[in-house]
Amino acid sequence: MIWQLDLSVLTLIVICAFATIMVKDLLSAAIIFGAYSFLMCLLWTEMGAVDVAFTEASVGAGVSTVLFFAAVYQTSRMVRPRRSARWLSKAVGLTAALLTGLVLIIAENDFPDFANSFSPASLHLSPYYITQTLHDTNVPNIVTSVLADYRGFDTMFETAVIFTAGLAVIAILRRMKKADQVELPERFVISEGYPDTISRFVARQVVPFIQLFALYVVAHGHHSPGGGFQGGVILGASFILLAISYDFKIVLGIMNEKMNILLGNIGVLLYAGIGFLCLLLGANFLDYSMLSKVLPATDKIMARSHGMLGIEIGVAIAVMAIVISIYLNIVSNGKYDKGL
Amino acid sequence: MTIVVIVLILAGLVFFFATTVGLLRFPDFYSRMHAAGKGDTLSSLLMLLPLALYNFHEINMANLLVALKILLIGVFIFMASPTATHAIIDAGYEAGIKPWTKKPEEES
Repeated sequence: MIWQLDLSVLTLIVICAFATIMVKDLLSAAIIFGAYSFLMCLLWTEMGAVDVAFTEASVGAGVSTVLFFAAVYQTSRMVRPRRSARWLSKAVGLTAALLTGLVLIIAENDFPDFANSFSPASLHLSPYYITQTLHDTNVPNIVTSVLADYRGFDTMFETAVIFTAGLAVIAILRRMKKADQVELPERFVISEGYPDTISRFVARQVVPFIQLFALYVVAHGHHSPGGGFQGGVILGASFILLAISYDFKIVLGIMNEKMNILLGNIGVLLYAGIGFLCLLLGANFLDYSMLSKVLPATDKIMARSHGMLGIEIGVAIAVMAIVISIYLNIVSNGKYDKGL
Repeated sequence: MTIVVIVLILAGLVFFFATTVGLLRFPDFYSRMHAAGKGDTLSSLLMLLPLALYNFHEINMANLLVALKILLIGVFIFMASPTATHAIIDAGYEAGIKPWTKKPEEES
């Protein structure tokens, strides 16, 4: 902890947050919000939460900025000038915000200090994880083992939440019938432009390495920061890069709609299936140690490690498919005909 | 070794400063992106190279791997940063932004 660094990063975060609200151009707001996410990532790295920082960098600064861009591309770029609100509603809003802030600041006094080793949270559960993880599961990265093993039930439903989000986007945006398809007014249609050789070439060179790195993140999540969520998002982002630099159609050729939904299903099913396999083998749901009966040449400890790898792969597949599916739906306004 | 690291980092900082000044002071979109693209790429590499070097206070396999990863980030920046600059300038050109010229006497 270097407090000067923390203070400057926090100041920049507050400035970015205000700028995001104030700016009238939504495209600029999306970019500033990306910068905000990246500063949050720096702050978390500084606090030692490297896994969270990694997620924030890939999801917050990376993919969600692109999703904002896609949404702006399909709607309008400028904030519509609105009749100014009544002074009464303004005053009520300001009072509510100030009161909430005051309550939060008062409540903050009850928190233990940062890195206080005598706070309740670090007296009971955390020491067990810190001392016993390597012995229990043979996984050096405690975050991965807590997420995927000790609290695997939580993570399963987090994956289900992402899957549901993908389904919701499809349910709202996707237009199957020709009659439902509304043509956008002329001012929203952006010219296609000519194909740009340089960005195409570089994207073609870089995408395989990005995907390789994503696989490394998934597979190496046991030993270093990373895991299924981050790897899956990076995999999805590589396809989005292809869609932006090349053509919408190319990604549709590799990962069409059916494939995306199928892969999303398979990912969640892989997770839940490993849980049920444990149940069938006579252990609790998601208790991987019983997998040593089916996996060759593993004892109970290594089986937990392998079980975690299995569910990480499931999470990665589901997240990748859902990220691509959400992007394709938003950018083509649910028509799957053309996009950025 | 430490002196080389310090000199390289200082050079990187100087180039970052020049980039920022160029980004703020240049007259139009194209020259600003020129400053951002060139300066950012070079200064990032000038910052990453000493970080990789600094790992070698003790030569072993782990340090070598860390240095290799840092250099890989450098390679990625060398590919991605100029391409991103190019793509932005290309988009600006297609949107019809006029480049800045010294205005002739009669117009001013």
